[in-house]
Amino acid sequence: MSPISWLLAVDTGCYVSTQSVWRRAVVTALSASGLMLGFAHAQTPVNTVTSAEPGPVFRAQAWHLPDEPLLGFVEIPAGPFPMGSNPLIDPMAFENERWSETRRQGTVDLPEFYIARYETTVDQFVVFMEEANYRLVEMFDAAAGNHPVSGVSWTDALAYARWLEAELTTSEQAPAGLRRLLSNGWHLTLPDEAQWEKAARGTEPRIFPWGNAVRKDRANFAAAGTVPAGSIPCPECPYGLRDMSGNVWEWTRSPYLPYPFDSDNPAVNLQEDALWVMRGGSFNDEESNIRTAVRGAADPGARRPFIGFRLAIVRE
Amino acid sequence: MQSYSDKRNSASFSRSPRSSGATAAGAPETSKRITGRSLLAVPALFTTAFFLLSFLPRVQGNQTLVWSFWAATAVLAIWLVLMYVRTSASGNKKSFVLTAPKPQHYIQAMVHLSVYTYWGWHWPPVQEHALLLLAQLLFAYAFDILMAWTRRDNYLLGFGPFPIIFSTNLFMWFRDDWFYLQFLMIAVGFMGKEFVRWNRDGKSTHIFNPSAFTLGLFSLVLILSNSTDITWGPQIASTLSLAPGIYTYLFLGGLVVMYFFSITLIAASAAAVLFGLSALYYAMTGVPYFLDSEIPTAVFLGLHLLVTDPSTSPRTPPGKLVFGILYGLGVFALYSILSAFGAPTFYDKLLCVPLLNLSVQWIDRAVQRLRDNRPLERIGLGVIPSRRANLAHMSVWIVFFATMTFIGKTDGRHVGDSVPFWAQACVEGRASACDRLLLIESNYCADNSGWACNEIGAHYIRGDVAEQDPERALGFFARACELRFQAGCLNLLEPERAMVADPRAFDLRLLLREGGQNLLEMPESDLYQRACEHGWAHACQTSVATVL
Repeated sequence: MSPISWLLAVDTGCYVSTQSVWRRAVVTALSASGLMLGFAHAQTPVNTVTSAEPGPVFRAQAWHLPDEPLLGFVEIPAGPFPMGSNPLIDPMAFENERWSETRRQGTVDLPEFYIARYETTVDQFVVFMEEANYRLVEMFDAAAGNHPVSGVSWTDALAYARWLEAELTTSEQAPAGLRRLLSNGWHLTLPDEAQWEKAARGTEPRIFPWGNAVRKDRANFAAAGTVPAGSIPCPECPYGLRDMSGNVWEWTRSPYLPYPFDSDNPAVNLQEDALWVMRGGSFNDEESNIRTAVRGAADPGARRPFIGFRLAIVRE
Repeated sequence: MQSYSDKRNSASFSRSPRSSGATAAGAPETSKRITGRSLLAVPALFTTAFFLLSFLPRVQGNQTLVWSFWAATAVLAIWLVLMYVRTSASGNKKSFVLTAPKPQHYIQAMVHLSVYTYWGWHWPPVQEHALLLLAQLLFAYAFDILMAWTRRDNYLLGFGPFPIIFSTNLFMWFRDDWFYLQFLMIAVGFMGKEFVRWNRDGKSTHIFNPSAFTLGLFSLVLILSNSTDITWGPQIASTLSLAPGIYTYLFLGGLVVMYFFSITLIAASAAAVLFGLSALYYAMTGVPYFLDSEIPTAVFLGLHLLVTDPSTSPRTPPGKLVFGILYGLGVFALYSILSAFGAPTFYDKLLCVPLLNLSVQWIDRAVQRLRDNRPLERIGLGVIPSRRANLAHMSVWIVFFATMTFIGKTDGRHVGDSVPFWAQACVEGRASACDRLLLIESNYCADNSGWACNEIGAHYIRGDVAEQDPERALGFFARACELRFQAGCLNLLEPERAMVADPRAFDLRLLLREGGQNLLEMPESDLYQRACEHGWAHACQTSVATVL
């Protein structure tokens, strides 16, 4: 299959078409289900991946965050990484992953940041909802425990990040290192597109977090539903992160814009309807959509069973 | 008394010079009475028809609505059974008193119906409500008959329930999920008419306008429980203006009522007071008093068709004049009071009517001092009503309304709903302009304008229009963002920036509706042209660019 120009998009039911031809493709790509890929998409059985490694342990007393020194946040060192796709290496690459008219792939130099090892879970989000008295019109399955939370919008994800930052900054339950970070100009938020991609592929231009070959034992994709966060081992994945491919799409704090990526001066057109980038694909996707460079986008109010998020700690 | 008997239906007919009981007390001299135990079939028929309506798709579409119908049917059915048992045991026969139809019932009802037709033509929810109006009529007849027969043996059968149901629904009806309250509201209206009575000019008569009584009572409860959103009240008040030239339409309908029932002085004086006070307020502050027009459309409707019930308003011309003036003053004051308490302002026209009804006897007595006042009699304000004087007053009212229309104070454009106008007035420090700006933007935000939500969030960050409240601001930014307004999303990431942007075309379609017009299909060039005319500077540039 040759690469085609497409953009993954999710709508909230009432999409307003725009003047831009580039963005019109987004609208064309919408399906009645709210999710549309640029190609046919086969029905697949439930993912039956089993793990020899124990799954992560979450601490109920610590907001159900992972039982780790930094509550599951992993340091990503400063430095450059290759961003976007080179179709010569990755035949599944889509047009919107091209860096510019003259370059297929770019290099982005990022300062140090931290990212959550696992996707935010249902238990973690339920604690937030209970303690912050946060209400969602359509509730996700609150009994799903350690599964990644889904059916949350971009705004819900940010609300969770704001609440958790306030909790971690003030609570004695938070590790001292984390509290120190947060009181020294670091903030809990969503990762931006570049941070997410670097965390997923490391400093090499990998197609998937574990390498360039499709592996059903490394990610939950082409399946019927989510699996518990971090339950699929991935020893080859950079920085020890899990589920960077598949399980649920993950919101980022980047507006959807054509490359080259510029986190300092995003050329956002305030007259156009907001679309925000999500990354990583979901259980509902084929392998082409769980690649490290694939770029999905959705309305910030979209709440879908295949969209979740993970948090990052960044210096602002 | 002549009597007839009809063995087929065990009923008897009689002509009587005067019927007994409270209902029949006001019946004309020539009335016909139908008596018989089988007459219970009539409320049973109304109940059955009412019950059958619940199987139509309009009702079946909502489970609560279905249960509301069935619960109301059950109440009526139980009541019918008890009445049957009681009449069987006592041998008492119930009767209907038939008289010539009363103009204050059928003419009012026809005017109401014409308003529904014209308004419904331009606002589809009225069409969807038509079946529920019919259901309320059936319920009202069954309820009223049973209530009358519970208290006495006769019921004056006529068009009485029509104006009560129609005028109640012209101002408020409950949403489908709460429609059982609509039947309760109707029942309360009829009970108010039956039980809350006084002796006026030697006759027992109801004190309160039945629809105004129940509307006032339910309005109070809705305000106190902050649950207006379970009704269509605000939408009803604002969508009347969707019908083009609605003021002229209501004016013409009002002339019919004025001609037949001599209520010109009430409606005209109330309108004149409201026009006058609005103009005075504008002259003093530079901003309009009412948001949507010089007199809100629903108030204009109310002063023609709600407050003018001949049975519950003064009978003397000076009394009518005072009554109208008090209504105008009451509405004007209530608008500010409701605003000050953050309550929906559309209740302004409803709350003061029961109080005014209570003052009717006092007003009529007070103006008796003006008896034999020659100057007043010369201008038709003597205490003795005359049709000629009413016609003269109508002429004055026609000239007054024509003048107001000519200077653009009725169906003309009104700046009160223009956001740029209030934004400028707020900057200039005009009276309550910042509060009005926040109120208008809140309304538009509730209508899904992302731009308006973002503006409110920015106000709460900057503390310019409202007191600083960053937490509250985040809520508005989140809503703006979910409505795909990009600046709202960026503000959610960095609230302290309080970034603002011009409204998108979609926002303009909401911001320029002037009370609810559907602009979603309007071509963009026309939209921007309209926005430019309404003071949106950025739209003028877009509009010029489109033309070029």
